[in-house]
Amino acid sequence: MTLSATECLLQLAEERHALEEYQSGVPRWCTGCGDHAILAAVQRLCRDEGLRPEKTVFVSGIGCSSRFPHYMRTYGFHGIHGRALPIAEGVRMARPDLTVFVNTGDGDCCSIGAAHWIHAVRYNMDITVFLHDNQIYGLTKMQASPTSPRGLKSNTTPRGAYLEALQPLTVTLGVQNVSFVAQAADWIPESLYEIVKAAYRHRGFSFVRIVQRCPEWLPKQWDPWLHDPKRILLLAHAQGLRPGPELARAYPNQIEHDPSNLDRAREIASDADLIPVGILYCNPDVPCYEDLQLGTRLRTVDYVRAGLEAELDKFTVWPQ
Amino acid sequence: MHAEVRSHIAFYLTEKQALAEAADAPPLGLRPALLARYRDLARLRYDYPVALLREAAAPAAFAPLGALVARAVERAAAAADDPARYAAPALALELELRTLAARGTPAPLATLADAAAGRLARGADAPTAEMLDRLRRALAIDAELVECDAALPARLVTHLWQSVQQRKAAAFRDVIDRLVLKLGEILQADRARSAAARTPEALRAAMGTVDRDAFDFEAMAQLLARLPERGALSSSRRQRIEATLAVLAAQRFFPASGVEPYAFRFADCADALAAFRERLPEMAKLARAVAVARLEIEGEYSEPRHDALFERILGAAPDLRALELFPHYLVCVDARALRARGHDALMELLAGALPVKVLVQSDDILEETLAGTGQVAFGAHARQLTSMAMGMNEVFVLQAAASHLVRAGERLQLAMEYSGPALVSVFSGACAHADGVPPYLYAAAAMESRAFPAFAFEPVAGPDRAAQFSLAGNPQEARDWPVHRLDYEDAEHQGVSEEVAFTLADFVACDRRYANHFERVPRAHWGAPLAPLAQCLDRQAKDLPEKLPCLLMVDDANRLHKVMVDERLVRETRRCRDFWRSLRALGARRERDAARAGVRDAQPPAAAQAPSAMEAPPAAPETAAPATERPAGDPYIETARCSSCDECIQVNNRMFAYDENKQARIVDPNAGTYRQLVEAAESCQVAIIHPGKPRNPGEPGLEGLLRRAEPFQ
Ligand SMILES: Cc1ncc(C[n+]2csc(CCOP(=O)(O)OP(=O)(O)O)c2C)c(N)n1
Ligand code: SF4
Ligand SMILES: [Mg+2]
Repeated sequence: MTLSATECLLQLAEERHALEEYQSGVPRWCTGCGDHAILAAVQRLCRDEGLRPEKTVFVSGIGCSSRFPHYMRTYGFHGIHGRALPIAEGVRMARPDLTVFVNTGDGDCCSIGAAHWIHAVRYNMDITVFLHDNQIYGLTKMQASPTSPRGLKSNTTPRGAYLEALQPLTVTLGVQNVSFVAQAADWIPESLYEIVKAAYRHRGFSFVRIVQRCPEWLPKQWDPWLHDPKRILLLAHAQGLRPGPELARAYPNQIEHDPSNLDRAREIASDADLIPVGILYCNPDVPCYEDLQLGTRLRTVDYVRAGLEAELDKFTVWPQ
Repeated sequence: MHAEVRSHIAFYLTEKQALAEAADAPPLGLRPALLARYRDLARLRYDYPVALLREAAAPAAFAPLGALVARAVERAAAAADDPARYAAPALALELELRTLAARGTPAPLATLADAAAGRLARGADAPTAEMLDRLRRALAIDAELVECDAALPARLVTHLWQSVQQRKAAAFRDVIDRLVLKLGEILQADRARSAAARTPEALRAAMGTVDRDAFDFEAMAQLLARLPERGALSSSRRQRIEATLAVLAAQRFFPASGVEPYAFRFADCADALAAFRERLPEMAKLARAVAVARLEIEGEYSEPRHDALFERILGAAPDLRALELFPHYLVCVDARALRARGHDALMELLAGALPVKVLVQSDDILEETLAGTGQVAFGAHARQLTSMAMGMNEVFVLQAAASHLVRAGERLQLAMEYSGPALVSVFSGACAHADGVPPYLYAAAAMESRAFPAFAFEPVAGPDRAAQFSLAGNPQEARDWPVHRLDYEDAEHQGVSEEVAFTLADFVACDRRYANHFERVPRAHWGAPLAPLAQCLDRQAKDLPEKLPCLLMVDDANRLHKVMVDERLVRETRRCRDFWRSLRALGARRERDAARAGVRDAQPPAAAQAPSAMEAPPAAPETAAPATERPAGDPYIETARCSSCDECIQVNNRMFAYDENKQARIVDPNAGTYRQLVEAAESCQVAIIHPGKPRNPGEPGLEGLLRRAEPFQ
């Protein structure tokens, strides 16, 4: 319930920003790094959706990708390694009026932060998460991450990684309450932007894995896919995204995929040969934790104090 | 022609009025044969008595007793018992409750259930007594049991209105409380930053008792005093916040405890109108306070911009849409009183689209009839009111006989929730002239006979009349008259079964004032050419009837009688049928449209599926391809595919630059060398830079560069 007059007044006060106005500082990423593309897409989103800088916050952990908040002229929280998600959840609970984004690397999210990741999916808070997956620890100069492919030679796996890579999409799709999973590639900016936008617009925990190039440590890693556009699988659907003609011409391999079909989404995500690009799964009906958890009672100072007193009274030792 | 037939024809044409004085025509003492079975309503299960539920969590605001008893059986029998065993005691209990409710004043359901179960348990065996006790406990609901009587319509509508108001009040309070809390926090934060909060005493007071002595508050205060005082509220802002808080605290629309609320229930339209007008300035003030509070909390209030704006808003009439937050007025008026006082205030309330719900209750819909002409007219006043209201387009109109109110509950609720004005026209059935027919049955007869059809006009239900108007709920909507089977025994004790229509004349026959329009046909004359009234309506009035119209009625002992109807009443019955047909035409159009819309929905046009986020505009993409627009040999970038990786910019940031989407394009091909173009193309991660032809044929090493450029052309 709102007073229409206030709406008008707030509209009146609304301000639009150009893309550059969301930019802060000069990114320290290597030239050619996929993170630049992600930054550009997110800044475009902020401009096009009219996000107010003072109402927007980017939370990250540690890593090259986690420097993201520094380059956004919004609020930001450059957190500690692996803890981007719990910090973002705290922000969300304390300030439900803010739009919360998370930028996290494959090391940050899938290695040290894996426990938080699983539970964040299950909590389904209204947060938009970008997993910058370059399959390597970039910042610390090339150690294998859980998503590094088997056989990858790195400073920690000089004889090649022994284990099969962990697939972030199938993991996320396997968690209870999953509500939005998509995949993008940093070098296909048209679809990256559309996917980022769909993720932002979804109410709930929107998880976007972005296949990200690290030209510094793994310069040839994605070449097979870069050089053969047929190995990109565009997902199209009336309820999801539909590639425009230009994109469809550049990437001719396209299938219809209904984003409400979870089983099919898991199958598509398991394909190791193709990179599916688009929305794999979307279910707007999964309840958000903050909606379930927030009581209807207004937390006035007196109310909170009375609750605390009642709790503390349980431990009071009265003099005999 | 037989003499007796001639006398019947004489009655038909002239009615008794001409023969004897109408005023003292003896009452008919009969009721329509179709009502024969409904003598003792307390023994029947129907929509009344109805329980007005007061629990906030109840799914609906009211429920018929029958439904509550059924639910009680479920609940009582839930514990592994056999529900079938509960049927007998539950029905006995329900019967007892109905009898108690029929006896008099409305009472809490729990009290009545206690009394009824207690009475039945006396003399019952132990298992039955236990079942009764469980049922009694299952019926201990916070509700009031009310019968269908003269007071019912106002009671029911008021109850619904109240439940909607309560919900609204809670939402309103929530909005206000939140604003008050946030505004309070702004002041509190300011206080915490002030010099007064930094004194040793204030710091000491802010510390818990246990560790108080461990701190040196003097030193702390000295340290804090060195900090510059920054970000204090300007005095104008502080004043504005305090004034806003004062308005929010003092408002009387849905006030906090301790402030006397305004009254919103009225028995007269003019009073409601006057109250509304008187409170307008207060409403504007509150609306402004809410708007200011929102802006302050968002930190958006800008004095140069908003001060003048709010001055203007306060002067102007408030936006009616903004009134949604405010309580709605309820006016319950009696149709007769309304007519005596005139419709002006009512029309002003409705036409002004004010937030008001008006219940107009008619106890007698045949009353206006005798207006000197001796004409029998039905429901004319209600018809006039409702059609006027529907003509205003923005008024939610609902008409129903009291017997139908429970079924129409959902619609009634919608009317109460509707953001604009609503007119509810109800026939109570509590007519002093109804001959021994209880209000529920009389109201049902009015609806059955089409004298008072149920309908709803919902302004928001669709774009046109046809979509907004609904006749749903009327019995056998597709027919002129509802038809029911009547089984009886003839003089030879043979079973006879007949289809009998219930017409306006049947309804009029229950009213003793119109006895002179009816004449019993002695059994000896049943051989005369008689026909059911419903079949005689198409005949031209002036023709001499071949068959005389008659009704089937019964006396107190349920003996069947045939009763002739005079020509005036036949005419009125025909008018009633024609009026019903015209109503139905409106409803039918709606159905037809719905059917057509259904077909449309089944085959969505191709265009409806196409547009989506990734779809480029449909303008012919082939011709728009960049290659054809550019002179051959010019270098270019497929900008849409640029991944903003900075490679080319690093090579030459005067030649390459980002556009408004942070994607690269060639701004000046002459700002660098062909070598730089080729190097940029080679370093581009997605290979979208096309170097074209060299511009300077004298550039050194061109041959090699052209070879390197080959893969990117
Ligand atoms: C608790 C802790 N453990 C280890 C580190 C060292 N460390 C810094 S960044 C990083 C890995 C980052 O990899 P990723 O998340 O993939 O980010 P990228 O640099 O690839 O974008 C590690 C292990 C740390 N900063 N903190
Ligand atoms: S090291 Fe890799 S991930 Fe990090 S900035 Fe450089 S290219 Fe990007
Ligand atoms: Mg990484």
